[in-house]
Amino acid sequence: MRSVKLHARLLAVALLVLGAGSIAYQILVQDVPLTESESDPVWVVDTQLSFQARPNTPIKARMFVPPLNSGFTALNESFISNNYGVNVNRENGNRLVTWSARRGEGQQNLYYRLMLTSRFADPALPPENGPQFRPSPELKGAERVAADALLAPIRQHSADVETFVSETIKRVNSEDSDNVRLLLGGDHSPENRARVVDLLLAVAHIPAEPVHTLQLQETSSQQPELWLRTFNGQNWLYFNPADGRQGLPEDRLVWWSGEQPLLTLEGARGAKVSFSVHRNEMSALRLAQSLRSQDASSFIDYSLYELPVPSQQLFRVLIMIPVGVLLVLLIRSLIGMETLGTFTPVLIALAFRETQVIWGVLLFTFITAIGLSVRGYLEHLKLQLLARLSVVLTFVVIMMGLISLLGYKLGLSTGLSVALFPMVILTMVIERVSIVWEERGGAQSLKVAIGTLVAAVLCHLLMVWSPLVYFVFTFPGVLLILAAVMVFMGHYRGYRLMELVRFRAMTEEGER
Amino acid sequence: MFGIATWRALRRRGVMGINQRNGDYVLMYNDRRLYPLVDDKIRTKNMALEAGIQVPDMYGIIDTEQGISQLEHIVETHGDFVIKPSQGAGGDGILVISDRFEGYYRSASGRMISPEELEFHISGIISGLYSLGGHRDRALIEYRVRSTDLFDRISIGGVPDVRIIVLQGYPVAAMLRLPTRQSDGKANLHQGAIGVGVDIATGVTLSGTWHNLKIDRHPDTAHPVAGVQVPDWDQCLALAARCYDLTGLGYLGVDLVMDKHKGPLMLELNARPGLNIQIANDDGLLRRCRLIEDHLEARGEDAGTEAAASRVALSRRLFAVPDLPEAPTPP
Repeated sequence: MRSVKLHARLLAVALLVLGAGSIAYQILVQDVPLTESESDPVWVVDTQLSFQARPNTPIKARMFVPPLNSGFTALNESFISNNYGVNVNRENGNRLVTWSARRGEGQQNLYYRLMLTSRFADPALPPENGPQFRPSPELKGAERVAADALLAPIRQHSADVETFVSETIKRVNSEDSDNVRLLLGGDHSPENRARVVDLLLAVAHIPAEPVHTLQLQETSSQQPELWLRTFNGQNWLYFNPADGRQGLPEDRLVWWSGEQPLLTLEGARGAKVSFSVHRNEMSALRLAQSLRSQDASSFIDYSLYELPVPSQQLFRVLIMIPVGVLLVLLIRSLIGMETLGTFTPVLIALAFRETQVIWGVLLFTFITAIGLSVRGYLEHLKLQLLARLSVVLTFVVIMMGLISLLGYKLGLSTGLSVALFPMVILTMVIERVSIVWEERGGAQSLKVAIGTLVAAVLCHLLMVWSPLVYFVFTFPGVLLILAAVMVFMGHYRGYRLMELVRFRAMTEEGER
Repeated sequence: MFGIATWRALRRRGVMGINQRNGDYVLMYNDRRLYPLVDDKIRTKNMALEAGIQVPDMYGIIDTEQGISQLEHIVETHGDFVIKPSQGAGGDGILVISDRFEGYYRSASGRMISPEELEFHISGIISGLYSLGGHRDRALIEYRVRSTDLFDRISIGGVPDVRIIVLQGYPVAAMLRLPTRQSDGKANLHQGAIGVGVDIATGVTLSGTWHNLKIDRHPDTAHPVAGVQVPDWDQCLALAARCYDLTGLGYLGVDLVMDKHKGPLMLELNARPGLNIQIANDDGLLRRCRLIEDHLEARGEDAGTEAAASRVALSRRLFAVPDLPEAPTPP
């Protein structure tokens, strides 16, 4: 017996670990939303490109679009353009879209729309190896001297690439030095500053490149902000050239890197690019589904959401049955309330789905009462059990027919129309209550019937509670946990709550 | 809190709960295959007869409609008898005939029954009117037990019986079950009969239980139930202990009746005996079962070999109640 108990415990623990593990995996790794209503921000970035086409010349517009390799998942990407061919290709880690047309006239508008979310994003890819050394550019005369003069203290005040870059940025921004002013040459724009920082780093053989980023924040127009990044051998380090801050904020999206301009235009002039960013809320579940539809990997793979919708509906009901069964088990073994079998309350709970709880309870009580009184009458006639039950069940069907008819005539059609499934279950319940009545008497069968009804109502409420349904359906590992509890309950030897009352006479409290 | 304190108190007293009885005793000691032995009274009786255990004499069995005409022949030489469904439950369908008059039968309650009525009743038994699940059954015609008058003061109608719970052949607890008006002559506790604990060592009754309450007097006669000596107690215990060898059921409730002339007779066996015997004895079954299990463990290899007499002796020693109630003085 000991070894069997140990075996059962091990089984329960194994099931528990397996179930909890699968749930943890889904939540922590697959990032599955915990509740159905959980929503995520979805960023919609609209890029409008407008220009004047020169008549009778082919038009070719090349614009960078985000490479989308880290931090965000693209839900949807669209290029909206009339009469333009669209072609997207990769180039040095950037993505470039090329719009082309044989000819165009007047004002042309091209749109690029990108929808992004940070949920379900792949963890940042291991960065392709960046450069770690670059030859220093040829500088002449005063510039050479100024650069050297600036670099000497920087080298002294820094320990590694990271600190070197921030120190450089700080110095270039301080402006009080003549050397900086000389290198800036009167242009104090951030771009020029970034160029000077880059220049200094180049002289020091430190590779760096400008990156152009967009902030994901509700704005109607925004221009890409310039950042610098450098490769330290393992990771890309990002720096803000305006103040030397290190690290790219979470809400910044890298649009493109390198010194090329955002847009190159042939056969047109007066180009203007504007960005606008909007924030939308989208349920995490819908988000996953839309990712699935565009073949991005998401938790939908190998989950019940992959089933066709009618099967999903069915499974939403089926998968709650173990929950109901466990509740009945607990009600019976822990509380000690008697029910008809284990499965009957769950079946009645399923029937309540169609009749609504209130009507279901009324119907259940009323029809069972009628059925049992017919039974009581037939007992006088000394009919055999089977014959007696058959008559009872026939009367139950007649009663149901009458109730439906009455309900229809009174216009209460919705509540009182009895569907086939509840009818079958009710009939079965009456048969079983009658058998209990035969075997153990009226009082007992009344007790059992009430217990069954209470258990069924509780089961029903639990089985249609939508957060729970969502949770069990999304994380089927819950079923393993339920099974673990059931195995554990199979070896529960403690008292039932009712027994505390039953044996109260045997305690000192009961003596008094 | 009320619940936790009660829980602890019950655990301390070694009270057995339903979960524990089902899991650790019924499921563990009783092989499901053996249940039919005790569910069918005729099989139980035949088995007992072969083993020489005293049971009420069987006059005959009627198992077909044609056989009903044999009734007259079967009861020819007997003035009184009992007709029972072999697989009935809760005492339903039992008809006690105490006398005959001018071709009529007189029931225990004094009603006159015509032979046709009696045949109709047997026909109902055979067709499964009283059997569990409604399948065909057999009617058993047997000796009518004449209750000893020892229990007259504390019993109303019907025949009292003694329930002894036997674990692996060791009697662990005993209870005298006394019919009341409410129980309508039946000795089933949940139908309102009272249960009175019996000291295993001496066979003297202790206090009683009625509907989960502790009581000292019979609810109908108001006589104290304690201090009555159950007759032939040695035989009762020996009978009960041997029922284990007979059936192989390790956790068994043995029901005995005390016949005025023949002494204790085994009436029926129960593979899932109820737990109210604990309230009647004011002692936990778990505590007592553990003592037996410890004993068996100590015996190790020889656990199953102890003779019935020595098993009974051990039980008497282990479960003796120290201060027995005085016999009630007649009013």
